[in-house]
Amino acid sequence: MSATKRVGSEFRAAWRSFLRRRTAVFFTFFFPVLLVVIFGALVQTQPTGGGLFSEPAGYYLPGYLAVVVLFTPLSRVGSEIARHRDGNRFEKLATTPLKRWEWLLGGTLVNVAVIGLAGLLILGLSILVTGAGIPLAAETLLLVPYVALGVALFCGLGAVIGSLADSQDGVIAASNAVALPLLFLSDTFVTLDLLPEWFRPLVLASPLTYFARGVRAITYGETTPLPVDLGVAPAVGYLLVLAVLSAVLFAVGAALVPRTD
Amino acid sequence: MDGPTDASAGSGGSELAADSGPPAIAAADVHRSYGDTVALDGVSLSVSRGEVFGLIGPNGAGKTTLVRALTGTTKATGEVQVLGSPPTDVDPQRIGLLPQSFSPPERLTARELVAYYAGLYDEARDPDAVLDDVGLADASDTWYEKLSGGQQRRVCVATALVNDPDVLFLDEPTTGIDPAGRRALWELIEGLAAGGTTVFLTSHAMDEVERLADRVGLLNGGRLVATGAPADLIAEHGGAPRLVVDTAAGSNEVGDVGYPVEATAETLVFHGVDPVDIGQVVAALDAAGVDYGALAWKQPSLEEVYLTLAGERYDRPGGKGDGLGGTGESVPAAASATGGEGTAGDAGGDSR
Repeated sequence: MSATKRVGSEFRAAWRSFLRRRTAVFFTFFFPVLLVVIFGALVQTQPTGGGLFSEPAGYYLPGYLAVVVLFTPLSRVGSEIARHRDGNRFEKLATTPLKRWEWLLGGTLVNVAVIGLAGLLILGLSILVTGAGIPLAAETLLLVPYVALGVALFCGLGAVIGSLADSQDGVIAASNAVALPLLFLSDTFVTLDLLPEWFRPLVLASPLTYFARGVRAITYGETTPLPVDLGVAPAVGYLLVLAVLSAVLFAVGAALVPRTD
Repeated sequence: MDGPTDASAGSGGSELAADSGPPAIAAADVHRSYGDTVALDGVSLSVSRGEVFGLIGPNGAGKTTLVRALTGTTKATGEVQVLGSPPTDVDPQRIGLLPQSFSPPERLTARELVAYYAGLYDEARDPDAVLDDVGLADASDTWYEKLSGGQQRRVCVATALVNDPDVLFLDEPTTGIDPAGRRALWELIEGLAAGGTTVFLTSHAMDEVERLADRVGLLNGGRLVATGAPADLIAEHGGAPRLVVDTAAGSNEVGDVGYPVEATAETLVFHGVDPVDIGQVVAALDAAGVDYGALAWKQPSLEEVYLTLAGERYDRPGGKGDGLGGTGESVPAAASATGGEGTAGDAGGDSR
């Protein structure tokens, strides 16, 4: 009960702080709109043309979702850690009952809420602008845990970056350097056949791959078999892998959240 | 813990609390370095329960590092105990901390900020009551970033009080607060101490420490060079009282008044003058036909102690004021160090 109270207090403070940074709120939601409009409406997909964006529109929906699931938590959590460190907030929090994982969980829940809303916006825009379809099936509800676990995973990674970087500028630079290759080399926008043969196994090293393939299995119906047969449907299997990776990265991130100077 | 060495030279301020269990704070041979820089070099101290301990020292002396060592927020070697346990094992409900340069989330109102920290404890005070204590009841709905610097600092103090701690660490709590606000906070701290709260306070404001602290520790170069009750430290290190007379006359123009006299560019300074003998000095000045302006009698204060022990004498270029450098007298150049002009009411002295 105490932990719930503490996480709740952290969530409320972080949520209010976020909503009152109007520029951050605007661009958090404007970014996915921009993305879908540029790639879904202006560039468009060319199912017969080959190269980039040669798949049907629905294929890229996981990529659009991946953008917000990846970039937003990574930069927000990392920057928040830098802000906390600069303001000696961790020094203060270290003398309260709040535990590091509780602090990270409070921030993660805010990100889940924010990115959940951004994800809904992307789904709606994708349907309206690109014509991508989403099946009306119970399995589609798995998108909720996919987004939540994906956000938790990258909040953990953001915490790692924020804890290791020594400034807010450093956090932004490191976040971009990590996010960009992950975004394009995780079976999101770039199909495997466009990558060199030797590189393809490395795609499995990216946690975003499991998010993208799982979401695609739900929204597009294309299933890439799991590297290891878990005896469950691919959408569930990828979700399980994502859950394990999220737990590991969240734990590592929480352990690295600063406590001392 | 086997009683860490107490560097205290003076008596404890809380005789009542001294017998009621382990000290509130105990440190023995605490060391902390950052690379080649030694921040703490074998600090030992003991603070009794209910005592207000003031830590003073120059910038970079290690005050904040010591607070961090005592609160377990930096990894120091040596032995530290708070309420009988290592600081990281103490029930956080019983500890309150105001870090130096603390900057909480800026787009929360004062009430939301205090409520946020209150929400981290199992039991906490009503945020509005705490804000009322620090004199911010009227500003509770204002965003932190919209508050003045002094108000912001008072909100920060409130966050340290919200769990009604037994031991309160305040690292420069009144920085940026106006005189009225400082006095309000002093009264608050005095009230907390009267209620049994142990307060560990760092400050650059000597009047603040002199008023609030039962005992004072002076940290310099990572070493605790002196501890004791303010009055004891002043008696031991503060030097004698003195009478400062604004005049262009030289010391040889005044006859023997029974006190050593020293001339600076625009003053005569009589050392060791008892207040009842001020008239005797004035009579001697009149008898010698010395033309003089203001007179100020100055008691030694904690500031003199600080300047003497920290080796931070400052003599203004040109010698105006009672800068006494080069006289061979063992009198600290106290008043000039704060820019004090040696006139009435300065540095805790009584004016004529």
